[in-house]
Amino acid sequence: MSLKDVLKPFTAWKNLILEPVSIKKPLERQGAPRYRGFHQNDLEKCIGCGTCEEICQNAAIDMVPVDGVETKPGDSGLRPQIDYGRCCWCALCVDICTTNSLTMSNQFQWIDSDPEVFRFTPGADPKYWDNSELGYRKPELYELYNTERVKVEELHPEERDRSFIEMVKGFSKEQAMRESDRCVECGLCIATCPAHMGIPSYIKAVRNDNIEEGLRVLYETNPLPEICGRVCTHKCETVCAMQYKGDPLSIRWLKRYIADQVNSRDYQKILGTENLQKNKKKVAIIGAGPAGLSAAYYLSLMGYQVKIFEALEKAGGMTRYGIPEYRLPYDQIDKDVKYIESLGVEFQFNTKIGTDIPLEKLRKDFDAVYAATGLHLGRSTRIKGSDHEKCYQAVDLLREYTLGQEIDVQEKIVVIGGGNVAMDIGRTLARLQNQKFGKVQLIITSLESEDIMPADREEIVESREEKIRIEPGWGPKDIKIKDQTIQGLNVIKCLSVFDDEGRFNPVFDTDQKNFFEADMVVEAIGQGMDIEYMKGVVLTERHKVKVDKNFQSSEPWLFVGGDIVSGPDAISAIGNGHQAAKGIDQYLNQ
Amino acid sequence: MSDASIYRDKFPQKNPDGTNQIDLENGKFIKIWQGPNHPGITGNMSLELVIQGDEVMECKTHVGYLHRGFEKLMERRRFIQCFPICVRIAVPEPDFNEYCLSATFEELAGIEIPEAAQWMRTLLLEMARLQSFLMWIGGQAGSFGMGVIGQWSNYARDLVLDRFEEITGGRIYHMHMTPGGVRGLAPEGFEKRMEENLVEIEMIMKDIQTTMFENAVFKKRSIGLGYIDPSWVYDYGITGPNARAAGIPKDVRKDYSYLKYTELDFEVITGKDSDAYTRADLRRREIHSSIDLIRQILAKMPKSGEYMAKVPNVLHWKIPKGETYVRSECTRGEFGYYTVTDGSGYPRRINVRGPSYTHAVALMEKLAVDCNIADTAGLMVSLHTYPPEIER
Amino acid sequence: MKELIARLKKQFKITDEVYQKPDQTYITVPQEQAVALVTHLRDYEGFNHLVLLTAVDWIEENLFQLIYLLNNNDFKADLGVRVMIDRHEATMTSIHHLWKAAATYQRELKEMFGIDFPGSPRVDEPFILEGWDNIPPYRRDFDTKKYSEETYFPRPGRTTHDPAEYMKKKLYPED
Repeated sequence: MSLKDVLKPFTAWKNLILEPVSIKKPLERQGAPRYRGFHQNDLEKCIGCGTCEEICQNAAIDMVPVDGVETKPGDSGLRPQIDYGRCCWCALCVDICTTNSLTMSNQFQWIDSDPEVFRFTPGADPKYWDNSELGYRKPELYELYNTERVKVEELHPEERDRSFIEMVKGFSKEQAMRESDRCVECGLCIATCPAHMGIPSYIKAVRNDNIEEGLRVLYETNPLPEICGRVCTHKCETVCAMQYKGDPLSIRWLKRYIADQVNSRDYQKILGTENLQKNKKKVAIIGAGPAGLSAAYYLSLMGYQVKIFEALEKAGGMTRYGIPEYRLPYDQIDKDVKYIESLGVEFQFNTKIGTDIPLEKLRKDFDAVYAATGLHLGRSTRIKGSDHEKCYQAVDLLREYTLGQEIDVQEKIVVIGGGNVAMDIGRTLARLQNQKFGKVQLIITSLESEDIMPADREEIVESREEKIRIEPGWGPKDIKIKDQTIQGLNVIKCLSVFDDEGRFNPVFDTDQKNFFEADMVVEAIGQGMDIEYMKGVVLTERHKVKVDKNFQSSEPWLFVGGDIVSGPDAISAIGNGHQAAKGIDQYLNQ
Repeated sequence: MSDASIYRDKFPQKNPDGTNQIDLENGKFIKIWQGPNHPGITGNMSLELVIQGDEVMECKTHVGYLHRGFEKLMERRRFIQCFPICVRIAVPEPDFNEYCLSATFEELAGIEIPEAAQWMRTLLLEMARLQSFLMWIGGQAGSFGMGVIGQWSNYARDLVLDRFEEITGGRIYHMHMTPGGVRGLAPEGFEKRMEENLVEIEMIMKDIQTTMFENAVFKKRSIGLGYIDPSWVYDYGITGPNARAAGIPKDVRKDYSYLKYTELDFEVITGKDSDAYTRADLRRREIHSSIDLIRQILAKMPKSGEYMAKVPNVLHWKIPKGETYVRSECTRGEFGYYTVTDGSGYPRRINVRGPSYTHAVALMEKLAVDCNIADTAGLMVSLHTYPPEIER
Repeated sequence: MKELIARLKKQFKITDEVYQKPDQTYITVPQEQAVALVTHLRDYEGFNHLVLLTAVDWIEENLFQLIYLLNNNDFKADLGVRVMIDRHEATMTSIHHLWKAAATYQRELKEMFGIDFPGSPRVDEPFILEGWDNIPPYRRDFDTKKYSEETYFPRPGRTTHDPAEYMKKKLYPED
């Protein structure tokens, strides 16, 4: 210690003449561009999935209804409300947000004497920092889950284009685990699924490798998981929260994965249906399609004695006679059907109600009847030449092929239609062409332009892979016939299919023409129903059977369902078969 | 053992273990509480002191004023939900919590984080050291009555916090290192602004050097205060600057190099006198070392690239059964997380080893004895303790 | 590290060894040998730094796992010595004579887990929780959420909705 040590500190006096460093107007200080300040939420983008609430480790977020936001498929109508008494500004909610709608502004100054205002719904309660350009956003390369779908293995186009072996191989265990891990369990899909399946629960079962639990969840709402796991229209995937940042979950393949893992021998044990108590009441079901099978399953669980009458020789309905085997192998249908049969459901095949047995007889012999006979009549375009013998109906051809009948395949084929049936028949015929001629010359032409074609995207892609030409946006004009043989299809440009109110009202440009060469034409523009056998029931204005919410018709003992009242698709049929079963149970216990 | 006892008279009598014999009834002792609310206490803890005259005869550390049970709370949270909590265990240096927690999870889950994330973490940890030392130096000066030093050094710290805010979006709780990586790299122009700040901090440090370290008052009061014998280092579990000031070159960054410290050039700084002044001076040198390291990191770190490893969906993330310990060198010494997982979606047990745990309790209770009551605050700050990491 | 474990195995009953990383190993020893082993490691193997001493509650197996994490700074290696002790009669020999710092750890374990270390200085004095009258809170059967709900009051007026349930109510209530 020296005198120097005493004097040196006085050099600090130099600060008297220096500029002060303090911020003069602290209230005007801006947060950094990444500052984690007050939340903002884009209400339009937000789907109310509640993942932010789930991840919040402080339980600061509640999901609440908001005025002006409606509950609709894919949007719960709820929005996050944040309690700033608990929020710790960690921004996990922003990182996990499935739509990137939730962000943070760089504003951090807000003074109020009322503590209650510090609980508000960002976006719905206007705040001065709304639409702030700066603030924390989820960093681009930072993901808290995998946004990409696990690819399911498929046969290569060369392996499949002439065979009817199932083309989708299904998930391996490891793939299924990885895919199921992506689910955020928001449950928005449940409302959209026509059968309201417990989707998050069975995906959770896959994730936890608890297949038995998964099967139980499936059978709560859907007794045809093998069928649905392959050909379901998977509307659930269109509302999956994962789609906004990446791909939606492969919900359908996960469902199939569960059903594929269980041996049919174990079904009764797992599902606890070994000793069903039967009651005395009897129900007849007309049509062994998805709706009939679904109703039969739930009715027999409730103890009813169920008998199914089927016009064709096997059960499955459209899923067997309309869907080609490369999409849905017959043994998988058999697996689902066999289990239902094992519960004591009786089947009588090759029996058509109305011709072989009158409906009246069923009324006498049974306590209730459920009619789900489906749409098995093809609809024609009725254009000139459509009555030619080489102009076919898709549903007829598909049924004939399944029944093992010879199809007179031609070298050049045009299929009219843009839905999945068009794809099914197109791809079936393409395979037969390949087998017969060694090449494919097949055009699928639809009224709709490609973006609104009703067929599944992957069907279109796969058709092309199988060398099918797709010509969307053309309206069929006439079939050109020369010397009694079909030459091809004349088409004109279709500008729009629906009018402003969304009704079917196509507009054509007759100047834009095209000609598709063909010696065989197949129509796949829709199907009709044959309900002659239930003459007398009240119909709606649109010539459908009038039913109430339990699918009870004007005749109290007669319930009607399946494609003839809704759909057409398998999962709606399964859903309404289940509902009809509950309705029949109610009716019989009045 | 401090030599002070040799020159003391025979009162009070010594116990066989060296502690003083105290009889509170005889009127010669006073028991006072320093803290929990006391300007001379670092954070919320208290010292139960028994004094005779102005000398401390006995000291007992009391903690618990900040106990929120973080270790336990983390057992009830998903792995990703732990990082917003753990930062609160050492408020002035939250980054070490984030790093250790994330590193244990990553190790047990078998996740390798990208190169850019490792550099980012190194940068954040070194910045955390710098700003914490700057804050500490103000505390040390303040406890000896030199309030103005704290104003300067806290201004310098604020400059670092501005840079933290720029990278992480937060000034105090950065929450930037999450299990799997970091939440982003430095924005455009960061290096330039950091360099400007470093230059300014160096200027401020020069002023602090002259007004504090070359100040007769500070020297008089801190030289010889709180002598730590090198032989106590292992017995009391002393780490960090407190051990290095006693001449023991323990530095986790060198000994168990983590992140990118192997690629950086720095020396382990040691002292020899092992008193409060040596420790303060050592920390001053650490500040300069830190500034140098930040410059090195900024020069070497990649400006772009992946910064997050692929993690499973954090909502269902399960980590296989296992246990591990990850340590890092914070400003106070060895800071580590011992994490046990049991294969579920939640940690089984997380134990935080804060250096203050040993420094502020066993060591402080020993050093305070025979110390002047006016110096206890300075002594305590010279050990650089943070109460929340004692009681977690 | 393997050599060291092999050496130790000659004297001690090591039942489990996990080589977590090159410089970190965990071994399990019976309760009665633990303090002897720790002393041996400190005095003869250079593991003179007690990094931490804490416990893990394996309530399902009715066991507490005590972990003595020791560090040898010359070899730059850590050795975690695990001891499984009975959860109901949770008593362990004290090591306060080996490290002065150990007494604090033991005091905390007594308070937070209810593990007794007879003879350890001030082991019965409250460390963090003055006036605590519940079960030791770091035990797994102490429910923090329940405790907080009973002790503190929630902020009134908070309600939340489950998206899936809410949609059911709104879109298809009959089913």
